[in-house]
Amino acid sequence: MTIIFPNAFAPSSASRDDAPVLVLDRAEPGREDELRRLRETVRRIERGSVASTAPSIPLDVPEIDAVLPDGGLAGGALHEIVPGDAAHDGAALGFTATVLGRIAAARRGQILWIHRQAGALTAPPYAPALAAFIDPARVILASSRRVEDALWTMEEGLRCGAIAAVVGEIDKVELAATRRLQLAAEKSGVPALLLRVAEKKSAAISAAVTRWRVTSAPSRSRLGADGESLDDIGGLRWRLDLLRNRFGDPARTETPSWLVEWTNEKGHLAVVSETVSRPHGAPAQRLAG
Amino acid sequence: MARRHKDWLAKTAALIGFHQGGPRIVAVNEHARSAGIRAGQRLADARTLVPDLTTAHAEPASDLKLLETLAGWCERYTPWVAIDPLGGALVDSGFEIDAAAELVDRMATATFGGDGGLMLDVTGCGHLFGSGIEGERALLADLTARLARHGFTARAAMADTAGAAWALARFAERQKDLLAPVAGHRALIAPLPVEALRLDATTAETLRRLGLRCIGDLLPMPRAPLSQRFGDLLVRRLDQALGSAAETIQPRLPAPAFRTRLAFAEPIGRAEDIAAATSRLLAALCGQFEKAGVGARRLELSLFRVDGSIERTAIGTGRPSRDNTHLMKLFQEPLSHLDAGFGVELMMLSAAAVEPFDTQQVALAHAVGGEVMQVQGSDASAALPARSDDTEVIQLVDRLTQRLGTANVVRLAPRASHLPERAVIALPVAKPAVRAGLWTKVAAYKGPRPTRLLAQPEAIQTTAQLPDDPPRQFNWRGSLHRLKRIEGPERLVDEWWQDSVSIEKVETAPSGRDYYRVEDEDGQRFWLYRDGPLNTPAVLPASRWYVHGFCA
Repeated sequence: MTIIFPNAFAPSSASRDDAPVLVLDRAEPGREDELRRLRETVRRIERGSVASTAPSIPLDVPEIDAVLPDGGLAGGALHEIVPGDAAHDGAALGFTATVLGRIAAARRGQILWIHRQAGALTAPPYAPALAAFIDPARVILASSRRVEDALWTMEEGLRCGAIAAVVGEIDKVELAATRRLQLAAEKSGVPALLLRVAEKKSAAISAAVTRWRVTSAPSRSRLGADGESLDDIGGLRWRLDLLRNRFGDPARTETPSWLVEWTNEKGHLAVVSETVSRPHGAPAQRLAG
Repeated sequence: MARRHKDWLAKTAALIGFHQGGPRIVAVNEHARSAGIRAGQRLADARTLVPDLTTAHAEPASDLKLLETLAGWCERYTPWVAIDPLGGALVDSGFEIDAAAELVDRMATATFGGDGGLMLDVTGCGHLFGSGIEGERALLADLTARLARHGFTARAAMADTAGAAWALARFAERQKDLLAPVAGHRALIAPLPVEALRLDATTAETLRRLGLRCIGDLLPMPRAPLSQRFGDLLVRRLDQALGSAAETIQPRLPAPAFRTRLAFAEPIGRAEDIAAATSRLLAALCGQFEKAGVGARRLELSLFRVDGSIERTAIGTGRPSRDNTHLMKLFQEPLSHLDAGFGVELMMLSAAAVEPFDTQQVALAHAVGGEVMQVQGSDASAALPARSDDTEVIQLVDRLTQRLGTANVVRLAPRASHLPERAVIALPVAKPAVRAGLWTKVAAYKGPRPTRLLAQPEAIQTTAQLPDDPPRQFNWRGSLHRLKRIEGPERLVDEWWQDSVSIEKVETAPSGRDYYRVEDEDGQRFWLYRDGPLNTPAVLPASRWYVHGFCA
């Protein structure tokens, strides 16, 4: 069964102004209020009885935020991050930490990180590297061998409103489990991230609101003083695919995809234009390999 | 022993041990006693009295274990339970004892070389069974009845002093339990033999030879000559038995200061009932905490089953707590694994560790819009109001710890070490030991680090253009990675001050690792290192390459 979500009112960004229902006279304050109420009503209808009132968290990347409902990651909701394949685990972890950094800036409290010590994920995230994205002092790390314990821990964390965010690195998660997590997140308004392992099948069924696929991409080359591109690794680049965007624009058919770059110096994420931008004078054959 | 051999109850039986040049009787049962067999006799002499004497070897070690179990079981009456293995160790100093019950398991008398027993300080415990002397009588009756039900024959006595109770339990001529009236023990112990004073064999023998056969003979004698002739011990034992010298029972386990118990008329077995009872016990205990101004760090719940076994479980908290509902939540998990067996007749909750409860609880490090506030020392804690957020987080951590284990719920702190696997240390969450921003500082002076560090570095096969060069490609887990970018090396030398590295080795050939951050054609980033002696060509067989992590 296909569920179609009527979503014409959901996005508030300027990009939606071309939709006929939204052509309104901005000068009238009464209509603005009415519109807000109307949007809230639609939201409530769309998202079930437990409509989370938690504000959404913008990723501060305008191109991505424009696609997300309410201009950011939904606050009390479950979001999934999947590495392109097992070897892209480092990049997926990097993107998870980036998202956490945005959440940590928006919300107060501790971050609960659950790590299942089994399967492909034998080691917990490495704190010295996380320090670039979030303060590891704010992270409470919980490890467990059993999937049930890990899921229980996530749920307990999500029920505690004083927690800023809950991150789970759990490989085997059933649909029912994701539904439980989603409901717990909706209730408390605590955002939940689920870092899954790469699956062989195309897409597992899940109750998550968004699902991101992260693949590492060749980094930007840096130029030396003589104009030659250097051997070292420049800005970290990831390919992001928004595989699932519940409550997003239903009219959109293609999977949104971006090439993003994380710069440690600036400490933020930015979308890189896909056209090959070659610095003036740089030899073309170097880039081609 | 009789519990193991049910048929022994009808037979004339004895336990034997090998010492003093041959098998001797160590303990006897009721039939053997009436036949005139005594502990200490040679087995040959006993056989002349009773030719068909059933014998078995004494097992002191397992008997002591049994006594330990019994002592644990006796904690249902009082936390002050001591094992009296071989006729009493010296116990000096302590508080005044008002009443002491002595339990001697007759079969244990057999198994414990005739002297094994338990001492219970039941001061103020009688009221749980009735008022005044009646309560104490009921306690004593309850004790022997329950022991009898489990197959033990016990001789119990209760008196004002431990010494008197000991003497009465072992030497008094009677059929039933003996309860000495308050201040009436002097008259009762007077006719008992001098051995009842817990003396060594030589002293007792000397006394007998001098015609001092019973305690009553010693009572009127002046103390000074007695102590001169027989040493301090006799006089002290005499005073202890009479109550003029103090004697404390050293409990087997430290007695908890806070304790509640709940006895059931009918044994309970349903999980809901046990949970409800636990909740009631908790409520009572939290009331005690409130009065004393403390909070629990560790609670122990004991379930006394009808079959005499005890099921114990414990919970711990990160901060002292007297929050009824929170503590109950912590108990939920262990309670779900508890086995009630044939039913639970008594439950006891005791606080094994308490700490002063500070209503102004120290706040955890918490952030306001990315800016982290941090508590440093006690001076800052006073200024911060108690935060409900923190309490919530602490309680969450307690719940997680209860289920996952202490080692599995941690906060990560930097450690001063160059080696990446040693650079992180896990600390208990409750300790706000990591200063905010410390991690950023630590990360700033280190090279690039992987987002995930493999627990065990994985060996790889590499190909390099020149012997000294870093690899151009490597084979890892069956796939070939051609490298496009290489960053490094970052040289990390072995920490010679660690035990695992010998100083001689460092002096002759300093070894260490050269770390590289590399990127392959697909953009995957790895953290590789070369291990081996430094300053030698990389192609030497001594140097090996490893993958140590994945970079973002």
